[in-house]
Amino acid sequence: MNGPAEPSPLGFLWRLITYSPWRYLLAASAWAVFHLWPLLPGVLGKLLFDVLEGRAPAGITVWTVVAVAVGAGLARCVAIVGATVAWAGWYLRARGLIQRNLLALVFRKPGAQPLPAAAGENISTLRDDSDAIAMMGGWGFDMMSGLIFAGGGLAILLSVDVQVTLVVMAPLAVVLVLAQLARARAYRIRVRSRAATAQVTGTIQEIVSATRAIKAAGREREVVARLRRDNEARKTAMIRDKVQSLAIDSVFNSTASIGSGLILLLAAGRMRSGEFTTGDFVLFSTYLMQVADYTSFMGYLVRTYQQARVSFVRAAAMLPGTPSRTLVEHHPLHLREDASLTTVPPEPEPLRELEARSLTHVFPGSGRGVREASFTLRPGTVTVVTGPVGSGKTTLLRTVLGLYAPQDGDIRWNGERVDAPGDFMVPPRVAYTPQNPALLSGTIRENVLLGLPDDGRVERAAALAVLGPDLERLGGGLDTEIGVRGVRLSGGQAQRTAAARMFARDSALLVMDDLSSALDVETEQELWRRIFATSATCLAVSHRPALLERADQVLLLKDGRIVAAGPLAELLRTSPEMRTHYRPAPPTRSRQCHV
Amino acid sequence: MSTARPPMTAGTLLRAYVGSQPAAVAVMAGLLVFSIGLEIAEPRIAAHFIESVQLGRAESTLVGIAAVFLAVAVTRQAARIVSAYASERVSWIATNAAREDLTAHVLSLDLTFHESRPPGELIERIDGDVNQVAEFFSSLILHIAGNVLLVLGILIALATLDWRVGLTFTAVTILSYLALSRIAGIAGLKWEDDREQSARFFGYVGEATLATEDLRSSGATGYAMARFHRHLRAWLPVKVRAEGWGSAIWVVLSIAFTAGTAIAFGYGGVFYRDGVVSLSGVYLIVAYAAMLNTPMEVLRHQVQTLQQAMAATRRIAELFAHRSSLADGTATIPSGPLSVRFDQVSFGYGPDNESADGMVMREVSFDVPAGTTLGLVGRTGAGKTTIASLLFRLYDAGRGRVLVGGVDVREAALASLRSRIGFVPQDVQIFDATLRENLTFFDERADDRRLLEILDVLELRPWLEGLPDGLSSRISPGTLSAGQAQLIALARVFLTDPGLVVLDEPSSRLDPVTEAQVERALDRMLAGRTAIVIAHRLDTIRRTDQVIVLDTGAIAERGATAGLLADPGSRLARLYQVGKVLT
Repeated sequence: MNGPAEPSPLGFLWRLITYSPWRYLLAASAWAVFHLWPLLPGVLGKLLFDVLEGRAPAGITVWTVVAVAVGAGLARCVAIVGATVAWAGWYLRARGLIQRNLLALVFRKPGAQPLPAAAGENISTLRDDSDAIAMMGGWGFDMMSGLIFAGGGLAILLSVDVQVTLVVMAPLAVVLVLAQLARARAYRIRVRSRAATAQVTGTIQEIVSATRAIKAAGREREVVARLRRDNEARKTAMIRDKVQSLAIDSVFNSTASIGSGLILLLAAGRMRSGEFTTGDFVLFSTYLMQVADYTSFMGYLVRTYQQARVSFVRAAAMLPGTPSRTLVEHHPLHLREDASLTTVPPEPEPLRELEARSLTHVFPGSGRGVREASFTLRPGTVTVVTGPVGSGKTTLLRTVLGLYAPQDGDIRWNGERVDAPGDFMVPPRVAYTPQNPALLSGTIRENVLLGLPDDGRVERAAALAVLGPDLERLGGGLDTEIGVRGVRLSGGQAQRTAAARMFARDSALLVMDDLSSALDVETEQELWRRIFATSATCLAVSHRPALLERADQVLLLKDGRIVAAGPLAELLRTSPEMRTHYRPAPPTRSRQCHV
Repeated sequence: MSTARPPMTAGTLLRAYVGSQPAAVAVMAGLLVFSIGLEIAEPRIAAHFIESVQLGRAESTLVGIAAVFLAVAVTRQAARIVSAYASERVSWIATNAAREDLTAHVLSLDLTFHESRPPGELIERIDGDVNQVAEFFSSLILHIAGNVLLVLGILIALATLDWRVGLTFTAVTILSYLALSRIAGIAGLKWEDDREQSARFFGYVGEATLATEDLRSSGATGYAMARFHRHLRAWLPVKVRAEGWGSAIWVVLSIAFTAGTAIAFGYGGVFYRDGVVSLSGVYLIVAYAAMLNTPMEVLRHQVQTLQQAMAATRRIAELFAHRSSLADGTATIPSGPLSVRFDQVSFGYGPDNESADGMVMREVSFDVPAGTTLGLVGRTGAGKTTIASLLFRLYDAGRGRVLVGGVDVREAALASLRSRIGFVPQDVQIFDATLRENLTFFDERADDRRLLEILDVLELRPWLEGLPDGLSSRISPGTLSAGQAQLIALARVFLTDPGLVVLDEPSSRLDPVTEAQVERALDRMLAGRTAIVIAHRLDTIRRTDQVIVLDTGAIAERGATAGLLADPGSRLARLYQVGKVLT
């Protein structure tokens, strides 16, 4: 389990089982009853005919057989209900635990900045892989029951007639295993019909998305003719595929009949002599009906195991640098009562000085990032980071915040070195508004608070963030539902909600990444006016001349390095870069210049 | 296109697409009935064998019966495969035709329809729903009919043994079927609840993973985890309930099986004791009782599929019922360069095309004499694209008239109109198909010599030479540069030789070499044709004879290009001064 790269599914499984062992045990035993039950009807059928032919042990009548059948049937019903409910309970817990651990890891990951593509992958891992891994729990007892079923069935058949078992059942089982393998191969051959299907879907997609061009060119008939060609190819591929799998299926479907025929053929002589009874025939033919199901079931179990293995590897890949057993670490899931959403706000921590010393974070590959950035922030001052697009402004802020792990250099808070900036540079020390803030579904109030007590701070923060007029227009005020990821808000509203979220955290240092990207000039100026009125310490990325002029300190970035630092007036005197950057006055044009 | 009157209901849909293949349907049905007959005969043969054993018949007789049994089993499988093959064929031929007709139909609908629906939804209708209907064909014909016949056959076989047995099993079958569909219905609702919780849960997980930066820097990861726990807690009881009801289906099947077995054993035992049936008769009762189980479960499942397929059929019929709001005309557009005239044209999207607010174009009038070039300038949303769309009659004007070559576009035959106008869109649609198909827009009549000539004119010959299979090389949207795509769009226009060209110039810059290439191609293309150019660059504007500056759907300025550019007070000159033509 503490082995190297390849995680062991069974070790993981054991940790999952022990998370809710009694539920698992209940599910396992009930499913065992369910899976082993099909051994019974054959035996009962044989017993019935033995009774009728007078071969049964004394004291057993037709009614005994009927009573056992009814009793066993009812027992099976109880087992089914118990098994499903216990299983659902265990499965949701096991999967929930994996999901919880994955999510906690995503939050803790250094450089907590999942790229959009990677985020999609994270979600798919959280959804599908956690599912495949938890399903493995069922795999454990299914496999066990399956093996016991096969062993038990074989033992019963051998005890009845060794010859028929070996000559009919064994070869049939082999044929079925081969057919099962062929099924797996057919799955591979299916690739062709999949491709043909994808081609048709692709063509339809092209047609419906190019409707305008097609209509303008008057080529409706021609594109439909093209669809017809693709359709034709798909038809051929699909029919071939279907018939092939039907042929394999028919091997399974015919096992019972053909096996029974073979038994009749083989046992004809011995049935005449009474060595092989009608009851024996009933037993064999009943079991034959189950062999096909059984081999399919085992095939399914093998597939499940393979899927789970792949999922383990994928899930483990999500957490580089973390021991893979973190995935199944036991943690409370708060299923009995709602987990508390409110947190006690931490005591404010005043800032005397923040110092960054040759901070470096360079992205592997592109070589972009920030190098050896050093600066000092004093309480009550405004520091503005500026520079052309791609010069590393956002990276600098994120590195200061610990969202990117610094590769070199350090940060000192009030003179003391910060060891883990990601955990330290958070409220009540630092609060942050990203350039493209991400919001959660819920109300504006919830998004501003994110767990802080609702003690009037939302109203204060919203006023500071110039949200007032928008709140009036939104209808629900602070309690307006903003939809998934805040889709119902405009870009500017989302940015100011994030600003309010920052203000509500009463932090010593405010960090803002280009508020101008979604705000109009008037709103942004008003926002800055209110921020200045609070005499907060600010570190902000901006291009607005007004802000640069107001700043106590301007940091000019170029190609990841701070090429000039100081008040704007001084920089305009001393730095040619600052002059080129500042000159082309209107801020909107100046941004375009760097593209 | 093959159907004059589109199918409107599941019934007409079935008749339209399956009814056209009566022979295949007959083969399929015949084989299906045959294989079911054999399946019911199997236990009879086994029973005959047992009877022969009891009567002490010779071993050779017994072996003969066993051989017949085997032969029947093998024949039955063969019949099933052939019948399934026939049904697949019927189903694919039918659904392919439905797909093609639906596509053609959707293409015939006006753009207002397309704008109200994302492409994804249409793909879902044309492919997804039709696939469901394919299920409908195969499940209805093969599984449902097959299994209903099988159950009926078994019940009749049981009744011929003894009417009481037949009656009892009929009652058990009906009761369990009713219980099954009832419970499956409830379970379906519970599963929907489960899916809803699942969607909420993963919706939250999705947005939370996207908000990592925000949550961490706000010190709110604890809060985010707490919300995760709440979602999980809300899901748990719903999931358990859904699983519980799902398992109730198994419970009913189990009870039905138990009841069937107990009844078969009981009747068999009592009747044998009383001498009503022989030992082989008891075997038949037990064997048939066991055979009843499988089709029941399959039937329940198939009926559910059938319901989904019916819903899909309804959606398809609905789509077929949409009519284009544009009636086709009959007039032919003359040959040669075409004049264009907009006469007091107003236009608004949506149902109230005529109402004053929501108008994207108001009272626009202008003339483009044949053979001249008009430039359209204005910001995004000023109405430039709308003018192009009205020319092609992708929409109809709310008020006023659009004349092309002196013909009101509403009176022109759509085919004639669109074949006489060439369109070079801003984002050229490149298809994942061969170069030839991309150039000809899938018109198979164009000959390669002409294509090569045009590629020569466009200076694309060297590029063509570099392709592996020449004109038959497969190209896809991602493999072409913007400039190449532009040139291909120009080639399409050359190929159709239209009298009017509408060119929506791309706002992004091309590399200098390609740009010069496009410039030269444009010179050739515009010569001797009327052109309307949605211009973004000054070079292109200079090419035009007159310019219209559009602002929020109305003409803000118009005049001869040279004059406007020379007059420093004109909007065009001002736009040029600020460099804002590039919007």
